This record gives sequence, C-alpha cells and structure tokens, in this order.
Amino acid sequence: MKSLLSFFLLLITSISVSQTTISGTVTERSGTPIIGANIYLDGTYDGGSTDDQGNFSFTTSETGEHTLVISFLSFETYSLTTTITAMKNLEVRLKEDVNSLGSVILNAGTFSAGDNSKASVLTPLDIVTTAGAAGDYIGAFQTLPGTSTVAEDGRLFVRGGDANEANVYIDGLRVFQPFTATANNIPTRGRFSPFLFKGTNFSTGGYSAEYGDALSSVLLLNTIDEPNQEKTDFSFISVGLGVGNTQKWKNNSLSINAFYLNLKPYQEIISQRVEWSKPFESLSGEAVYRHQFKNGLLKVYGGLNYTDFQLIQEDINIPEGINFGLTNRNLYLNASYKGELGNDWKLTVGASFANDHNDIQITETKVGTDDNNAHVKGKLRKRFSNRFKLSMGFEQFLGNFTEEVTAPSFDKVESNYQNNSTAVFTEANIFFSKKLAMQLGVRGTNNALLEYTRIAPRVSLAYKTSSTSQISLAYGDFYQAPQQNILKFNTSLDLEKSSHYIFNYLYQNNGRTLRAEAYYKGYDRLVKFDTERPEFSSNYSSNGNGYATGLDLYWRDNKSIKNLEYWASYSYLNTERTYRNYPERATPNFASDHNVSLVGKHWVKDWKSLIGATYNFASGRSYTNPNTRNFLGEKTKAFNSLNLNWAYLLSQQKIVYFSLSNVLGSDNIFNYQYANTPNSNGVFNRRAIRPTADRFFIIGFFWTISDNKTDNQLDTL
Amino acid sequence: MKTIVILLTFLTATTIHSQTPYEKGMGKAFELWGSNKTDEAANLFERIGKAEKENWLPYYYAAQVHIIKTFTTKNAEEIESRLKKAQNHLNEAKTFSSNNAEIMIMEAMLNTAYVAHNPSVYGMTLSPKVEELYQKAKVLDPENPRAILYHAEWKMGSAKFWGKDPKAYCPEIEKAALLFDKEQPTTPFYPSWGKDQIERVKQNCK
Repeated sequence: MKSLLSFFLLLITSISVSQTTISGTVTERSGTPIIGANIYLDGTYDGGSTDDQGNFSFTTSETGEHTLVISFLSFETYSLTTTITAMKNLEVRLKEDVNSLGSVILNAGTFSAGDNSKASVLTPLDIVTTAGAAGDYIGAFQTLPGTSTVAEDGRLFVRGGDANEANVYIDGLRVFQPFTATANNIPTRGRFSPFLFKGTNFSTGGYSAEYGDALSSVLLLNTIDEPNQEKTDFSFISVGLGVGNTQKWKNNSLSINAFYLNLKPYQEIISQRVEWSKPFESLSGEAVYRHQFKNGLLKVYGGLNYTDFQLIQEDINIPEGINFGLTNRNLYLNASYKGELGNDWKLTVGASFANDHNDIQITETKVGTDDNNAHVKGKLRKRFSNRFKLSMGFEQFLGNFTEEVTAPSFDKVESNYQNNSTAVFTEANIFFSKKLAMQLGVRGTNNALLEYTRIAPRVSLAYKTSSTSQISLAYGDFYQAPQQNILKFNTSLDLEKSSHYIFNYLYQNNGRTLRAEAYYKGYDRLVKFDTERPEFSSNYSSNGNGYATGLDLYWRDNKSIKNLEYWASYSYLNTERTYRNYPERATPNFASDHNVSLVGKHWVKDWKSLIGATYNFASGRSYTNPNTRNFLGEKTKAFNSLNLNWAYLLSQQKIVYFSLSNVLGSDNIFNYQYANTPNSNGVFNRRAIRPTADRFFIIGFFWTISDNKTDNQLDTL
Repeated sequence: MKTIVILLTFLTATTIHSQTPYEKGMGKAFELWGSNKTDEAANLFERIGKAEKENWLPYYYAAQVHIIKTFTTKNAEEIESRLKKAQNHLNEAKTFSSNNAEIMIMEAMLNTAYVAHNPSVYGMTLSPKVEELYQKAKVLDPENPRAILYHAEWKMGSAKFWGKDPKAYCPEIEKAALLFDKEQPTTPFYPSWGKDQIERVKQNCK
C-alpha cells in the first residue's frame, strides 16, 4: 500500500522535475531592446514575452527538437529549430518588416489616392468633392502639381507634355478613349463614373516598366473589389438624370449605372459664345460584374456611351463660322483576373477591347471613323521574401483604324492602318532595409507597323532620411508611337522618345504632407511635318526634339484648423520643343510657366454642409502673332478661376449639391486665332479663344436607397 | 484497501478539477489582461491560438486586446499596426468558425476603431461596412446583447453627427440589458463581456 502511494508521488514529482528553461534577449538590429515580443515553442502552450530589457525566460517540459518562434508587430517573424536544451541565452536580432508602416516608399513621380496607400496625397473622397471638378474625376488631378491648366481641353497636360502623352488604365488594362468626344476648345470629361473606383495612382513621370506607350504620364484606376452593400442611387441634376444599382449574392456582385446628360437647360440660362444648333447630349451605361473565386477575383467591366451635338464654331477667316456636328459611339470592355497560384506566385491576366465610331460633319465635309483596339496582358509576380519581389509580363496591342472622308470637291477618300505592338517587361523590387529600397525594371517593345524594337530601362531608388521624411530618385526611358492623325498618312516614322530624371523629397507628419519634386525630361524623335495640319501630301520626319524641366510643390494640411482640409500646389515649368510644324524650338501654347492650385474643404457641422473652394492660376500662354516675326513669341494674360461647391446633407441619404465655376467671372483667354491674310492696313486681325461660357453651374439632388441607410453619394459628387 | 480507493478517488477528482493546459493558459491570459499587461495577454492568446488549432476563441481575444488598446493609444503608426494585427487574428478566427456573430461584432468594432482613428480617410469607406457587420450578426444571433448594445452605440454616434436625437436608440439598450442577464455561456471562455458597458452607453440617454 505504502509503496503504491510513493509510486504515485514519484510519478507526479518526476513530471514536474523535467522542466527546461528557455531564455534569451531580443533586440533590433541597432541593439535597442524589443519590449513585448512574443516568444513560444511552436505547437505548444509554452512561451513568454520580453521585458523592458528585451529579456525573456520561460520553462517547458518539452524535450528534443522544437521550433522556437519570436514575433513582434512590424518586425519579421524569427524562427529557430533546434533541441530544447540549446535554447539558452539566445541573442536574437529581429529584422524590420519592410512591408510595415513607416517603411520607405518608392514614390518618385507618383501621386496615390486611396485609403491603403502609404504615400496617399488625396483621399478617395477628394477626387470627387473638389470644387470645379464637377463630378469629373480628372478634375481633381488637375489640382495636383505637374499638371498645366488647359481649361479649354479638359485632359491632362503633364510637365510640358501634350494630352496625347498621358495614358489611362483601368485594372492594369489600357483605356483607348478615356475622354468623351468633343469639339475644338470645348473641354471634355472622363467617360467613367467615379464611384466605380477605389484607388488611383497618378504618375507624372518615372513610372513602372509595366506601362508603356506614353511619354509623360499614366493614370491608373482600380475598380472596387467588393462593394460594401446593396443599394440604389438616383441623381437629378440640372443637366441630366442618373440611376445606379448594386446587387450582391454569394460570391458575386453586379453594379450597373446609366446616365443621361443634356446641356440644353444650362446653355439656355448662361449665355454661350458659340451657337449650339444641337445641344450637347450624351447617354451612357456602365456595368461591373465581380466574382470571387477561392484564390482569385474576376472583374468584368463594360461601358457604352453615345454622344451627339452640333454647333457653329467661330472662325476669323470664315465670317459665317464653321458648322460642326459630331456623333460618337464608344464601347469599352475590360475583363481581368487576379489570383494566387500558391508558393507566393501571383497571376494577373486580362484583356480590354474598344470600338469607337465617329460621324463628323465639318461644313460640307463628312468624316466617318471606326477605331478598334484591343489589349491583352499577362503578368506573374513572385514574392521571394518581403525584401525581394520579381514580376514579369507580356502585352499585345492590336489596333485597326479606318477613316472615310467625303466632300463635294473630291471623291471619297479612305484610309486604313493596323497598329500592332508587342511588349515584354520585368521588374524587381528590392528592400535593402526599412530605409532603403530600389525598383529596377526593363521594358522591350516591338511595333509591327513602324517596324521598330526598343528597350526602355526604368530605375527608382528611395531612402528614408528620418521617421518623417525621405528622398527618392527615378530615371526612365519612354517610347510612344505617333498619334493616329499622323499614322493614317505615314507609317515610316520612328517611335517618339522621352527620358525622365526625377528627384523627390517627401515629408509626412501628423496630417501634414510636403512633397517637392524636381525633374528634367528630354524629348527626342518627335514627329514633324511641313504643313499647317497633318495631310496626305505633307513631308514627315522624326527630327523633333525638346526638353521640359521644373519644380513641383505640394502641401497638404488636415490638422492645423479643425474641420478644414486644404492643399496647395505650385508647378514651375520651363519647356521648349520643336515638333509638328514648328519652324524652331519654342514653348508650346499648352504649357504655362507657373501653375497654382489652392483647394479647401470645410465641414460645417451645424449646417450639415461640406463647402469647398478651388482657386486656379496659370501664367500666360504663348501664341504666335503674325504681325511680329516671332514664332510663339507672345503671351496671353494669366488665367484665373475661383470655383465653389456646396453639398448640403438633407439627411444621411439625401444630398443637395450646388457647384459654380469661375465665380468671379474672370475673362480668360487661352489663345488667339489670326486671320490668314492681313487687312487693308497690313495688319493681321485676331480673335480671342475663350471658354464657351465664363461660368458653369450644376444644381443636383442625390438620393441613395440602401438597407442600412448609412451610405450616400457624397463620394460620387 | 480502503485508503487506495480514497486515494484513487481523490486523484481522479483532482484530475477533473485540475485545469487543462488550454483552460490554464486562457485563465492566465485574462489575468494578464486584467492587470493591464496587454501585450503579454495578446501574446499569450496568440500562442494558445497557434497551439490549439481549430479554436477561434484565442484569436478572437487576441484581436480584442489589440482593438481595445487602440482606444487609448495616440501614436498613429501603432494604431494602424495593431488594427492590422487584429484583422489578421480575426481572419484566423473566421477560418475556424465561419458565420459567427461574435466575430462579426468584433470586426465591426475593429472597423469602428479605424473610423475613430481617422474619420476623413476611413469614415466614408468603412461606415457602411460596420453597419453591414452588425446587421449580419443580428440576423445570425438576434438575441446577442453585444450586437444590440454596440450597434445602438454606433447608431447613436451617427445620429449625433447628423444632428438627430440619439435617445431614439435607448430602448435597444434596455433590451440589451435584459439579454445580458439571460446570457448563459455554454462553452468555457465563450464571449460574455459587455454588460459593464451599459452604463457608459446610457450616458447618451440623459
């Protein structure tokens, strides 16, 4: 009996005796102790936390070989597999997790907008609540430095580049006609509804090897992965009507919207400088379908747009004006799939297709164009570690353009060309530490129409100088095929080229951001021709060249004044080029030396109102006065515009919105058109090119119906 | 012989009463949390979660420790990294227990923490998500007092923002209070917290 009892006791004590102590110290690379790190034997309950000196110690009854794991917020997890008895007085230095907050960002040239981006300068809401943008998502980007105000065009003019040098991508796939069709000197708008997008990257230079065929800039838009909720939106505005609906079921969701725009009511109220024989009218529909697979996401986007208008354009040489009419039909489809392949491989594949059809009438001449374009892309990305990632991809562009011109003076003329190009790219992302990172890329393009192959290197480097600031550098070569209005006459030209050199300084601290970027951009092999406009009989060459250099400043402050957010942009630009029919190097009309934007938004709680104001200034733009000998030798007066908007929240789901551009009615002149021949006094007469109206306004009512009653359309305004 | 029987009974009895390593670990983690050793508590919950496998509760509490800690933290970087960590823990919890109302409530609190931390960045995008999570949780478990109490608090917050009377949601608090009294946890360590928050939320009804 007694022996049995002692046996039991022995058994119990022997269990408690075979305990081993595991101990050590955990520090950062610099030797600073890490407090509160989690240390444990994988698969057991045994473990502990580090104390104020980074020391840990715990006991275990495990024996033999085990894995000791050490983890801590914003550091890479450390593991050690060895025998328990060897886990004594360990000295472990944890590596910083380069993916955590506070790491250096490769941001030279890029502005991000989105909630997850570390270098974000705009919130998603900013894109759409900026006064003067009038619901056009492009409008907010025009308040960022590096862009020039070219109010009569509406597209993006980046760092001395013309609008054709900027490309737009949706979910990594090219958008061939991102802007609505329009006439000379009448600003265009983006075709897409802003509420379909969750994040945006706007690069004003030095962008990734993944993107090509753009000399100056890319705007990357990403559609929403998963809508938050089912809802129906109605918008009633002074110039149109819109309806949208989102449905969710199982792993699927579908968002559709339709919008009808008619500028007639506006044109009736505000006197116009052009005579509209048929008001601007457009009907558009969009749909996005998303399906979540176990390891991937499929998104399909489709958009259809129909635009129609007719007007009499003033012309100094033709007293009765030019009768101009346009009907445009645009179809755009975009499908993409991104998924995990396992083992840290990621696959992205997609295709986009656009069909753009125009019927244009210019006095007696009729022009019909049909443009079909497709883009197919595949990309693989491998994450070797948090510190090294490699991506590679393939792209194919197919283009087929047909134009048919009929005029009383001559028979039907038809032109057609096929513009196909292939590109491959690869890019490595290397983080040497949390402070130093590099991106190295190269892109090879082969253009089948022009029979050229080009290799473009891209490099960027970033170094964190303190916890709140960093500097970065970027270099890249960029190639772009000449535009369709040239290719339709000549296909023996070279690819146009630009090289970017960028130096960026970024300071971010507690709701305040300062970003300064200096750059130099060289242009080479630009297309030249010897007639006023590109024509069948013109002589073409690739002998154009030029440069652009400047400084972009951006300051944003969300903290200093309660309920007020504001940002200020300043761009200095010095550019000259010879291209198209320029007889010599000169500063083009679209480039102004100084551009300033001030944007402020004030939330007035008692009024339940968001009030916004934007002020834009641009110094004078160059024009040619044939009464002098100088080509582009004179400057217009400076451009000024103050825009206001006011969103009043009737209730959580009903918003009344009012927006007015150029409140002060500044008389802005973009350019002058001179007569072809001098008058009797030997002087060339001129006509100022002005906006079609000094002011634009919108009054709208937006109503959202959803089950949970918290959403509204503030993010679509 | 009799002694052996007594001894054996005694031994078995102690085995029954002595805790499993899981219970001991969880108990210790709550003790650490109670004595304000938050990081140690979160670490221990995480360790238990890793060792237990198939059990959502340790991860659920690890997430809660981080989320609650952000309410008293000022450092933006720390808040974001804690919330990120909490989201990872909840994702782990969800793989062991899908369609779990308690996890949804915790996820709603996590998103509320984001909104509170930076309203201009997260307010517009995450508010509908918070609402959706509470609604889903209430559908799955209509008698859950935490869902009712915290949803009411969330709604009171937005009512105040819109200049409406938050008192409209006071009956919900009374309902939650009754349900807290009825609550009978079936599994050990099953969430039963929140009753002590009633008085705080009730401040809005005065």
